Amino acid sequence: MNIVKPSGAFAATPSETASDVASESARWKQETFGPAAAGKKERKKFVTDTGIPVEPLYTPAHLEQNNFDYLRDLGFPGEYPFTRGERPGMNRTDPFVISAYSGFGEAEVCNRRFRKLIEFGTEQILVALDLPTQCGYDSDHEMATAEVGNVGVAIDTLADMEILFDGIPADSLKRIGTLGNSIGPIVLALYAALGEKQGIAWDRYTVNLQNDPLKEYIARGTQILPPEPAAKLASDAVAWCVEHAPNWSPMTVCVNHINAGGAGSSMGTAIALANARHYIDLLLARGYSIDQVAPLLHMFPDERHDFFVSIANLRALRRIWARMMKEHYGATKPEAMTCHTTVYGHGQEALAEPLNNIPRTAFGTLAYVLGGASYVYLAGYDEAVSTPNENSARVALRTLQILANEHGFTDTIDPLGGSYYVETLTAQVERQILDGMAQIEQIGGALAAISTGFARRVMTEGAVRRQRAIDSGDRPWVTVNKWPQKPDVPNTAFRGDDKAEERQLARLAQVKSTRDQKRVKATLAEVERATAEDRNAVPSVLEAVRAYASVGEIVEIWRRRFGAFVPSTDF
Amino acid sequence: MLASSSELPRRRKIRILIAKIGLDGHDVGARVVARGLLDAGMEVIYTGLRRTNEDVVRAAIEEDVDWVGISILSGAHRVLLPKLRALLDESGASDIRILAGGVIPQEDIPELQATGVAKIFLSGTPIAEIVEYIVKETKHA
Repeated sequence: MNIVKPSGAFAATPSETASDVASESARWKQETFGPAAAGKKERKKFVTDTGIPVEPLYTPAHLEQNNFDYLRDLGFPGEYPFTRGERPGMNRTDPFVISAYSGFGEAEVCNRRFRKLIEFGTEQILVALDLPTQCGYDSDHEMATAEVGNVGVAIDTLADMEILFDGIPADSLKRIGTLGNSIGPIVLALYAALGEKQGIAWDRYTVNLQNDPLKEYIARGTQILPPEPAAKLASDAVAWCVEHAPNWSPMTVCVNHINAGGAGSSMGTAIALANARHYIDLLLARGYSIDQVAPLLHMFPDERHDFFVSIANLRALRRIWARMMKEHYGATKPEAMTCHTTVYGHGQEALAEPLNNIPRTAFGTLAYVLGGASYVYLAGYDEAVSTPNENSARVALRTLQILANEHGFTDTIDPLGGSYYVETLTAQVERQILDGMAQIEQIGGALAAISTGFARRVMTEGAVRRQRAIDSGDRPWVTVNKWPQKPDVPNTAFRGDDKAEERQLARLAQVKSTRDQKRVKATLAEVERATAEDRNAVPSVLEAVRAYASVGEIVEIWRRRFGAFVPSTDF
Repeated sequence: MLASSSELPRRRKIRILIAKIGLDGHDVGARVVARGLLDAGMEVIYTGLRRTNEDVVRAAIEEDVDWVGISILSGAHRVLLPKLRALLDESGASDIRILAGGVIPQEDIPELQATGVAKIFLSGTPIAEIVEYIVKETKHA
């Protein structure tokens, strides 16, 4: 008889049970692989950055070991538990949104760059703000010395936003937004007021914010206030959107910086989910329902060491999120169970020979695309060194366009679903994340993870472990520990022009002297009252922003009310 | 006899203050280096984020350190590092030397060294190289 058996992951006939495969695999490993590997020095340590040992081969036996159940664990795209994708058609019908994170100098030069990015085909722009803005200092503040326009664009008042988006209507892009982690209500108000200035209603454009202050204390470092009031202010922005702009995404809870800083992607995801739960609990305590709140939240997963872990992490995250929303929070709407994901493509970028960072970031981003991320950014190859120049920003966007359109990467949904390796990793990563979440819950949740130093310890230990893996060669890194080259920060590194600070200071002085002073005073007094009475910050901040009150003036009120954060000196 | 033996130069551990100046909040590099130097037997103090040059000079003098190691990634180094050197000198701490680490363009290095930064270690430098430099260059016995 000449029966052609289908080949592929699930082609085993009933007589070939996974247990047979398990014993056969063991035999193969001993008889065939073993002798071939014997006497050969291991090329590297076969373990993921998150600590999962990697086997030479994966078979159906691994699926059986993990009690793999297709309908329970995977299901179908756009359906619970969303492992295979948050949307029904995923990249097949609506490819991921090609996004750019950009900003430098002051609004006028930055606007020119934005127009270029749009010409190159970006569909979303997230504005990189300079550090004084992110930390709540106006450009003329002493703490802003030498920092104005350095790592992002300086935004002091609504006047800067008007220039920044001159000729770029708020609804001409799929989303606009910024990080604004420690100044969430203020950046939200700036984007709301921008729409008003452009005559575009809030329901006609979408604003995306990071607005995730808790991870700043752990990893990113732009915190202003103590964690508790900071989290409350962030949740104010979400609450305001539930009421006034439910189509916006005012919070993106980040794994990115926590992983990059050392936690590893699994513990990083656990910490981020604990942070998300803290914000959600605040909102529920204020009377909002999970079905109202959850659809507005996004997650920002991150894994840049291990390609397949990255795919597994995205799939596991969607599953955990869906189950958490349904089982823990009692969500009833599917939109409240889908985890929207934003990712920023990185690899292990090196300072030496920066052009090598192009393949690194492309591979890192490919993993996100295969894992089913929805909003995708890609780091400039020079980003480890400086703000990307126009050329590297274009390469980043073109790489995204190639990923979306060439090679067939996006032709079918969740192309690696069913892979013995990827499904095994997805289950293992899921367990690591759930273990991490249980640990954090045991110590008292997100705020305790910060105040007890737990998160920071995890970060430092992870960063030290990574450094040792590089120093020892356990983790190969081309041009660093393999074919090592001297790190080099080239002179061609992009610099904002030195005059940007001068122009920004002149504009700020002009705005401060020509605005309606009475209105500024009255609206700031109202911000002060709302802050004292613990009301939602956004309405009063929006009035102040409309009156051209500055970021620094508003933050100063918060600083007076809540005090400043205390920097940790642990290492 | 006893008096003179106590006057012998005592071998003390190398002391270093690792500091973040300006608004840059990326301190993983600073913390990894701090831990590496500690493991190498040095006494290490870390300032935490967002310090002013004045804070750093005060801490360096109070802690009686041999070195100040500044981690900087925001691009503010060109202004802040020469100011730190000047402030240390004005405060009578010209014996405390400055190391800098982070992302610093090649063309800025000669100028920074001319204005008193002893050595610059770019991101990615092995810890062992930093330790070796500090041990070799620390002046006290």
